[in-house]
Amino acid sequence: MELLEHLRNRQRQDADLFIHRIFLDRYPVTLVGATSLIDLPQTVKLLQTQVRHVVASESPLLAISGGIGERIGQEELVKVFEAITEGKLIIIPDNADPCIKLFPISRKLSRSIEAPMTENVLRGGISAFTEDLDTNIGIVKKQTMTDKLRIHTYWLGSGLRRKATLLYMDGAVNSSFLRELQLAVESHSTQDVPDLQTLNTMLGFTRWSLVTRFNTTELPENASFALNEGKVVMFLDRLPFAIVLPSLVGDMFASDNDRNYPLFFMLAIRLLRIVGVLINTLMPGVYVALVSVNPDVLRIELAMSIAGSRVGVPYPAIVETVLLLVTLELILEACIRLPKSIGTTITMVGGIILGQAVVEARLVSNVLIIILAATTIASFTVIGFHNAISIRISKYVVLILSALFGVLGLFAGMIVISAYLASISSFGVPYLSWPRSKEQSDG
Amino acid sequence: MNVKNVIPYASTMLLIVGMMTLLCGCWDNKDINHRALPIVMGIEKSEDDYQVYLLIPMKDQDKNSALVVSDKGTTINEVIDKMNKNLEMQIDLLHLKIIIFDRSIAEKGLNDSLSSFMRAGDVSPKTIVTITEHKLRPLFERMNAASLNNGISLYDYFEKNAGWSPHLAQTRIWHVFRSMQSETKDVPVPLISAGKATALESSGSAVLRKGIMVGKISSDETLMFNAFAGMGSQGKIEVMNQASVLIVSDTLSHSTSLVENTPVLNSKLTLKVTIIETKGSPTATLIQQELEELWTARYIRMFRKVQSNRADILGLGQLFRNKIPMDRLKYWRDDYYPRLKFNFRIHAIIQNEGLLKMKE
Repeated sequence: MELLEHLRNRQRQDADLFIHRIFLDRYPVTLVGATSLIDLPQTVKLLQTQVRHVVASESPLLAISGGIGERIGQEELVKVFEAITEGKLIIIPDNADPCIKLFPISRKLSRSIEAPMTENVLRGGISAFTEDLDTNIGIVKKQTMTDKLRIHTYWLGSGLRRKATLLYMDGAVNSSFLRELQLAVESHSTQDVPDLQTLNTMLGFTRWSLVTRFNTTELPENASFALNEGKVVMFLDRLPFAIVLPSLVGDMFASDNDRNYPLFFMLAIRLLRIVGVLINTLMPGVYVALVSVNPDVLRIELAMSIAGSRVGVPYPAIVETVLLLVTLELILEACIRLPKSIGTTITMVGGIILGQAVVEARLVSNVLIIILAATTIASFTVIGFHNAISIRISKYVVLILSALFGVLGLFAGMIVISAYLASISSFGVPYLSWPRSKEQSDG
Repeated sequence: MNVKNVIPYASTMLLIVGMMTLLCGCWDNKDINHRALPIVMGIEKSEDDYQVYLLIPMKDQDKNSALVVSDKGTTINEVIDKMNKNLEMQIDLLHLKIIIFDRSIAEKGLNDSLSSFMRAGDVSPKTIVTITEHKLRPLFERMNAASLNNGISLYDYFEKNAGWSPHLAQTRIWHVFRSMQSETKDVPVPLISAGKATALESSGSAVLRKGIMVGKISSDETLMFNAFAGMGSQGKIEVMNQASVLIVSDTLSHSTSLVENTPVLNSKLTLKVTIIETKGSPTATLIQQELEELWTARYIRMFRKVQSNRADILGLGQLFRNKIPMDRLKYWRDDYYPRLKFNFRIHAIIQNEGLLKMKE
C-alpha cells in the first residue's frame, strides 16, 4: 500500500494526523484525517449509519462514493494531502480501489456570532462577522435577501492555502471594475496571502500607499449597503472582516449606519467628521506656522497669551510639537497592545504626563497641549481605524511644511495631500469619486 | 516595486527633502516668545531727529506690565534698529495697533513716514493713526500706568466692537495714505492726549489735507463726520436742553450737478433716532424740528470750516468725479471745492414716541 506508507511517514512528522482502521459493514477501511479538525467519533457514527442504509439497499460499499463523497485515485498523493489540510476525511479501502474524500463532522473552531469588537453601533444591527467564511457569507445573504447576489470562491496560495470569496450584486456592480478585480485575483491565485499587505500587492496596488485601498468592516449591515452601492465585498477565511473594494474618500466620513438616524443628524454627524479630519491634519501645522513663522496672523490677545505660555520653553515650536505628538502616538499604540485590565493605567499615567507635568516642567506650552488633545480626539471621528491611520500620517507632512514655510507651507501641505489623494485610483475607480449606482452611471 | 526601482526613487525623495531643509531658510524663524510685539508707537521730532516711543506688553501671564522703550535717530528705521540692539527680543511691528504722531510732525506732513510704512510692509496698513498735541513721554507713562491687560486694551479704545464711540474718528494708515494719493478725499485723524482717570482722552480730530494737518474739528463735529460716513449709529445728540436722542441708523442720499463750473451738491441725511431723555414735556414734532435745524446748522458750520481749510474730509469730491474731467480733478481741492454750494437737509425720524405720550 503505497499511499498508506506515505501517510505513515507523514504521521511521524505530524502528530495530528490520524490513521484509523475500522470496518464499515464487512469491508475493512482506513480513515485518515486531521484530529484537530475532525470530530472523529461523530464522523464514524455518521459513516456507520450511512453504510447501514447502503447495505440495506444491497449495493456494494463503493456505492457510498456516489452518495457522500468524491473519489480520488490512490496515486494522486497531492490531492489527498490537500484534502487532509482542508480538513476533509479520506477513506482508503483495503483493496486497491480509489479512496473517497468526504465532508466529515468538523470540530467547532470558530466563535459564535458576537457583537463587533472594533466598531461601535449605537443604532442598527449588532452581530458582527466571525472567522468562519461560510458563516460570514450566510450572514450577508441573510442581510441582503435578493437573488441578484453573486458569489465566487477562489483558493489562494500554494503553500499556505486560504479560501477567498467575492460577493457582488448583479446589475449594481461596476462591471469593468469587477472584471479587473477578478482578473487580478485569478492571475495571482498561487500567491500566498497571509495578511492584508500581501492582499494589497496581490491586487496590484503599491505597497507604499498611504491610503488603504480597501475598507474593512465588521458589520454585515455595512457590507450589505456596500453591495447595494455596487461595491465588491471580499471575505478571506479566518479574517473576521468584510473587505470592501474600492475604497473611496467618502467612506472616511459616511457610514451607512448613519442612515439609521434622522437626516439632519446624519448630515450634522458627517460634517462633524469632516471637521474632525481637518482639525487633525491642520491643527499641529497651524500652531507651528502661527507661533514660529507668521505670528502676525493671530489676534494680538491670542498672540500675547501664546507668547506668555511659551516663556521659558527651551525648544522651538516644531521640536516641541513633534515631541508631544510622538508621546501621543506612543500612548495610542500602547493602548492597543495593552490588555483591557491595564488599560486604565495608561490613561492615568498619560494624563499625568501630558496634562500637568509637561507644562509644569516648562517643556511645552499649555496651548500646545490643548491643540494636540483636540487633534488626537479628532483623529478618531473618522470611520474605520485604517482611515484614522492614514490621516495620522498626513498631519506630519503638513506639520513639517508649516514649520518651514509658515501659513504658505500649510496650504502647500494641503495641496500635496489633495494631489496625492487625487492620484490614487483602484482598477479605474478614482479615490476621490462618489459611489454611484448603475442607473446614475455617466458612461 | 522591486529594489532596483526603489533606489532612484528614494534618492530623489531624499534630494527633495534635503534641498527643502537646506534651502528654506527656516532657521531665521523666530518663535513668538522671542519677538517683542509693540502695541503703540509714538513719534515726535526733537530738533532734527525722530524720537520714537514703543509700548511693548510683557508676556508674563501672571503680571500685567508693559515696557516703554524710546530712542532717537534720524530715521524711524534707525531708531527701531537701535532698540532692537538693546532689547533681548526682536521687535516685530506687525502687531502695532496705534501710531501717535506729534502735532509738529503732523503739521509738516505724515507723508514720509506713512508711505515708508506702506512700502516696507512691516507695519500693518490697518494700524490706527492718531495725533497728540502734548508731549509723548507723559502720554506713554500714563498709558503704561492706566492700561489693563499689558496695554493690549489700549487698542480697544479704537475697536468698533469694543470701546470705540462715534465721537472718535477711526482712521487707519491706509486711509491717510489714500488721502495723500487721492485728489478728492481727505481724512480726519483723532487727537488724543493722556486722560485723567482713563488712559486716553480725545479732544476732537485733526483735519488732514494730503497728509498735512491743517485744522481741527471738535468731538461733536467728528460725530457728524461719522454720521456722514455711515458710522454714526449709537451716537447721542443733545437737542436744545430739551431732550437727548440716540442715532439708530443713518442713510445719506446725494444729487450733484455742475452749474457753470460751480459744483452744487444737494444732500439729504435721514436719521432714525430714539429719544432717551427729555426735560419737561416737549412734543415729538418739536424735538424733530429742533434736531433738524440744529444739526443742519452744525453741519453747515463744520463744512465751512473744513472748506476754508481746503480739506475735503467728507469726500464730497468723490461725488463729482464723473462730472469733472480727469485732467481737472487735481484742481478739486483748490479750485472747485472752495466754490462748492452745499445744500444740506436733515430728515429726522423719531422711532419711539411712547415715552413722550406717557408724559402728556
